[in-house]
Amino acid sequence: MTLLDVSDIHTYYGESHILEGVSLEIDEGEVVALLGRNGVGKTTTMRSILQLTPPVEGTITFDGEELVGKDTYEVAEAGIGWIPEERRMFTRLSVEENIRAAVPDSQRVPEALETAYETFPILKERSDQRAGDLSGGQQQMLAIARGLVGDNDLLLVDEPSEGLAPQIVTDVGRALMDAAEEIPILLVEQKLGLALDLADRFYVMDHGQIIDEGETSAVSTDDERLRRYLSA
Amino acid sequence: MIPTVDPLFVGDVLDLLTSPGDVSSVLIEGFAKASLYLMIASGLTLIFGLMDVINFAHGAFTMYGAYIAAGLMLGLVTASMGWATVMLVFLFVLVVVFALLAALGTIFEVTLVRKLYEYPPIYQILLTFGITITMEQFMRMIVEFRDINNGQWNLDWASPRRQTLPSELGDSELLFVEFTNLQLFEILLGVLTAVGIWAFLNRTRYGLFVRAGVEDEEMAKALGINVQRTFTVVFAVGSGIAGAAGVVLMWDPLWSVSVPLALDVLLPAFVIVIVGGLGSFKGTVVASLLVGMIDALGTWAFTTGVIEFTGLEELMIFSILVVMLILQPRGLFGVEGQGDHG
Repeated sequence: MTLLDVSDIHTYYGESHILEGVSLEIDEGEVVALLGRNGVGKTTTMRSILQLTPPVEGTITFDGEELVGKDTYEVAEAGIGWIPEERRMFTRLSVEENIRAAVPDSQRVPEALETAYETFPILKERSDQRAGDLSGGQQQMLAIARGLVGDNDLLLVDEPSEGLAPQIVTDVGRALMDAAEEIPILLVEQKLGLALDLADRFYVMDHGQIIDEGETSAVSTDDERLRRYLSA
Repeated sequence: MIPTVDPLFVGDVLDLLTSPGDVSSVLIEGFAKASLYLMIASGLTLIFGLMDVINFAHGAFTMYGAYIAAGLMLGLVTASMGWATVMLVFLFVLVVVFALLAALGTIFEVTLVRKLYEYPPIYQILLTFGITITMEQFMRMIVEFRDINNGQWNLDWASPRRQTLPSELGDSELLFVEFTNLQLFEILLGVLTAVGIWAFLNRTRYGLFVRAGVEDEEMAKALGINVQRTFTVVFAVGSGIAGAAGVVLMWDPLWSVSVPLALDVLLPAFVIVIVGGLGSFKGTVVASLLVGMIDALGTWAFTTGVIEFTGLEELMIFSILVVMLILQPRGLFGVEGQGDHG
C-alpha cells in the first residue's frame, strides 16, 4: 500500500526552477534510496515533502492526506520525521533536551528517552552535555534518535554518512538498518554501497527530474546504469 | 578658582569604601535598582533577544501597565486599609495588569507583528515605533484632555504612590545596614522575576520549544513544534512582564506614573539587553546588576556632592553601553549569529 505519493511536483528557489515534475512513491515497510549528483534536487525533494520549500505545482499525499499547503509542523505531526544533512542539532541545548524537543505531545517523555538511550547508549552518558560539543558521529546518532522518538511513520534521511569516519559510518548504517525494520525510510546517500545495502528500491535524479528507478537487487555499485548519473 | 573635583572625588570614594554603612546602603540601592532594571528589560530580552523582534512599543506597554495599576490602586485602596491588605491588592493588581498586557501583546503579535518576521528589521522598528506613538498619544488624550486629576474621576493620578503606598511600610535596619522596606520589596520582586523567567525557559516544555525555535526554526518545525504559536506565547509573556514592571515603577519615587515613562523605560531596557548580549537571559540579569550598581554608585556620588553635577546618572548608563560596544560588541553573554538561522 502506498504510504507517500509524490506526484509531479514543481519547486522553485526564488526564480530558479529546481524540481521539474518529480514523482515518487514509498510503500509501507520500504526503504527507498534517492540517488544522484550534488545539486540535482534530492534535498529539495525532501524539503518539498516537509513543506519547508513548498511545491508550486503537484500533489504530495501521505497516508491518504494531502500535505501541500500544510505547515511544516503539521507535516511532522502527521508522522514524517527528518534526519537532515549536517544533523541540525540544537547546539546550545543539552543532548536530552534535543531528544525531548522531538517527542510529540501524545507520547510520554521518559519512554522516549529510554528508546533513544537503548539505541545509542553513548547518548545516555552524554545526556547533560551541550549537543554542540558532541563529535560528528554522536551528533548523527542524536539526529537519528530524534527521528526515532518522534512517533514517525516515515523518515526522510539526508546524507547520514557525510563527514563521518568509516567505523562510525558502519554504526550509523546499522542503526538505520534497525530503524528500517519498523519505519519506512526515504534515503539520500552519496555512498552508493551503503545506499544499496539499506534500500529495497531506488530512484535516480538528474536536473530536477526522476530519470530512472528500480529494485536495488537488480543493480550493483559499478553498474553503468547508475554510475553515469552519480560520478561528477 | 581652580576646580578640585578629582581629588575630592577620589577622597570621597575612599571615604565610602571605609564606611560600611555607606557601602551597604549603596549596595542595597544597587540591588533595588537592578531589580527594577531587570523587570524593565526582561520583557524586551524575551522578545528582542529571543525572537529578534525590536519592540519599540515595549516602554509604552510599561507605561500602560503603570497607568492601569494606578487607576486600580486608587480605586481599590482606601485609607482605612492596613499595609498587609494593600500589599494583597497590589499583588492582585500585578496579576491583572500582567494578564491585560499579555492579552494586548497577543493581539499585536497576531494581527501586526507576525506579518513582518520575514522582512528586514526596519519594518518591525517602524511598526512598533508607530504603535508606541499611537499608544502614547492615546494615553495623553485621556490624561490631559479628560483632565482626570480634577475631572469626573477625581483621582489624584499625579501621585498614586503618595496615596496608595502604605506609610507603615517604612524603613528597617539590620545590623548597621539601613534600607527602606520598599527597596526590600523591589529586590524580592526582582528575584522572583529572574527565577520565574529562568524556570519558564529551562523547566517548561514551552521554554524548550522557545530555545529550540530560536536556534533553528526550520528544524524545530520539522520536529512538530508549532514555532509560530510559541512565538505568540513569548510575545504575550514579554508584554505581560513589561506591564507588570509598570506596576512596580508606579510605587518607586524615581519613576512614578507619567506618559514619558514609555521612553524613560525603553532606553535603559535596550542598554541592558545589548550589554547582556542578545539571546542570553543570564546576560540580562548580570547587565541589570551592573547597571543597577553603577547607577546607585553614580546617584550616591552625584547626590552627596562628590561631583557637582546633577542628572548625569543616565550618562553613566549609556557610557556602559558605549564601552561595551567598543570592547565586546556581542555583549557579555551574547551568542554569535543569534537569529541567523539561514
